Amino acid sequence: MNLTVNGREHEITSAPLTPLLHVLREELEITSPKAGCQQGGCGTCTVLVDGEPRRSCLTAVATVDGASITTLEGLGEAESMSPLQTAFHEHYAAQCGFCTPGMVVAATALLERVGGPVDRDDILDALGGHYCRCTGYVKIVDAVMAASRTVPA
Amino acid sequence: MKAVGARLPRYDGVGHVTGRTQYVDDIRVGRTLWVKALRSPHDNAAVTRLDTSKAEALKGVHAIVTHADVPRNVYGHLEGLGVPGDEPLLADGEVRYKGQPIAAVAADSEEAAQAAVDAIEIAYEPRPALFDIRQALDPDAPKIHQWGNVYPHYGPFNHRRVRKGDIDAAFDQADTIVEGVYRPQAIEQMPMETQVALAVPEANGRLTIYSCTQAMYFSMGVVAAHLEVPLNKLKFVGGTVGGGFGGKVDTAADTICALLALKSRQAVKWRWTREEEFLASSTRAAWHIEIADAVTKDGWILGRRTLTLHDSGAYARFSPYGVTKHAFHHSGAYTIPNLHFDGFVVFTNRVPSTAMRGFGVTSVSFAVETHLNRVAAVLGIDPWELRLKNANRVGDTSGNGVTMADPSTVDVTLAAADRVGIELGSEYRRMTSGRRTGALLPEHLVAQQAADGEGH
Repeated sequence: MNLTVNGREHEITSAPLTPLLHVLREELEITSPKAGCQQGGCGTCTVLVDGEPRRSCLTAVATVDGASITTLEGLGEAESMSPLQTAFHEHYAAQCGFCTPGMVVAATALLERVGGPVDRDDILDALGGHYCRCTGYVKIVDAVMAASRTVPA
Repeated sequence: MKAVGARLPRYDGVGHVTGRTQYVDDIRVGRTLWVKALRSPHDNAAVTRLDTSKAEALKGVHAIVTHADVPRNVYGHLEGLGVPGDEPLLADGEVRYKGQPIAAVAADSEEAAQAAVDAIEIAYEPRPALFDIRQALDPDAPKIHQWGNVYPHYGPFNHRRVRKGDIDAAFDQADTIVEGVYRPQAIEQMPMETQVALAVPEANGRLTIYSCTQAMYFSMGVVAAHLEVPLNKLKFVGGTVGGGFGGKVDTAADTICALLALKSRQAVKWRWTREEEFLASSTRAAWHIEIADAVTKDGWILGRRTLTLHDSGAYARFSPYGVTKHAFHHSGAYTIPNLHFDGFVVFTNRVPSTAMRGFGVTSVSFAVETHLNRVAAVLGIDPWELRLKNANRVGDTSGNGVTMADPSTVDVTLAAADRVGIELGSEYRRMTSGRRTGALLPEHLVAQQAADGEGH
């Protein structure tokens, strides 16, 4: 099996039914997707599979053989943050930070789909399956709204 | 003072938004074993048989620990304050809550570790379980704890008590007695990061422990006590916590990881599942709080009697400390000259309880504020005005003898009224936190006042 993760190709040796989350974290040592619940409930393991947000904990790696995967690490580094990463930082949308990988990845898919300013309801819909227990939802929504207004339409 | 009033960027913000922040589960130290635990399926039972030999023989298993492997198995979170220990790290002969750890395995994978847990031979004799803190006080209730069903180590008493003024006189003088019962329930803190630890034996004989604890040096002491090693044999690495909210104050995964690392001589990691987090990680306590206020028709609270039962779960941990904080706050932000408070730490077969966002305080604040609304309704007085009248002022004395130097109740209450658009009479609108005089200093509040100018 092969995966392209954040632009780099990898040959995968894990068993076919291994969760994509485990392949990313343990075989490839890409650790931003977190094992928050490992039952699809919390959203912090979310990655983009060919541009679509997916729960990597419930995705058997064989079902995404050949796909292009994007994790939070692939969206931008400290010197080259995406508008969403910058907005999350500037709006204090990350407190403990454990939900942030899933939040930013899912919001990235939303912004790419809409391609311009998004409203609050779109964000609530896109991030509805993501838990934040530090209760940062207001700042998270504010950050996504702000970022959507900096992306060239 | 550039920082005061400024919106500074979070020092860890860039790491969080770029995925570079390393939580315990993200640390990589080379080959690492995985841990799984055998946990009690019973709320209360004798363990009549425990045999790990078949499990130890399984492929991929490197170490199994039970109570027999712990240098000092029984420890207490309050031993530093002179309270004897009561909780085994690994259950020895009996289990007192569902999810209590009995044995733990370090193996090549989580699957191999779980297979070994399943292969441990164990037998139980279930006992009647107790979940209701009021029933725990019945004479014929099953005895849950070796100390009885009530924690006995508050000096000469088996409960935290506050006594101030003359409570009987206050109740004799009252126009009305207003009673209420409040029962805030247990809550799981549910941080996004479950309990996790990584323990690494170093070449120099030390053990490095990567911990998600909220209380680093406390956890270090707990691990050192169980292992009977000096602190200089332990190196703790922490500070990056994926949410805690009080649920990572008690030492959860560190000690068992440390034991398994020493026994297997390899790095071991224990990451609890979400199910384990709900089953076996400590919660906020449940409470039973009874309040009776002796009040006058014009809205003065002359006295308060309070009985609190705090559900400690199966072991004491920090509950006695939580009840002490609860006691300090039982008169709320208000001055009541006559107080009689009894707070009991009660043992049940629930998971041991601990801190959560205002340890012991939120429960009693909920009870006090709800009760004040009840008092206002009974007296037909505006609840804001009742609070403003009885609010702490400079020179007032709290239940535990602290004289108020700079109380903020009046200012905060007025600001809150403003925010939600509450109209107040002008005499209330003009109130301040300054010393009581005139109509705000009725006879029953004179004696409790500190002399003019005092305050500490």
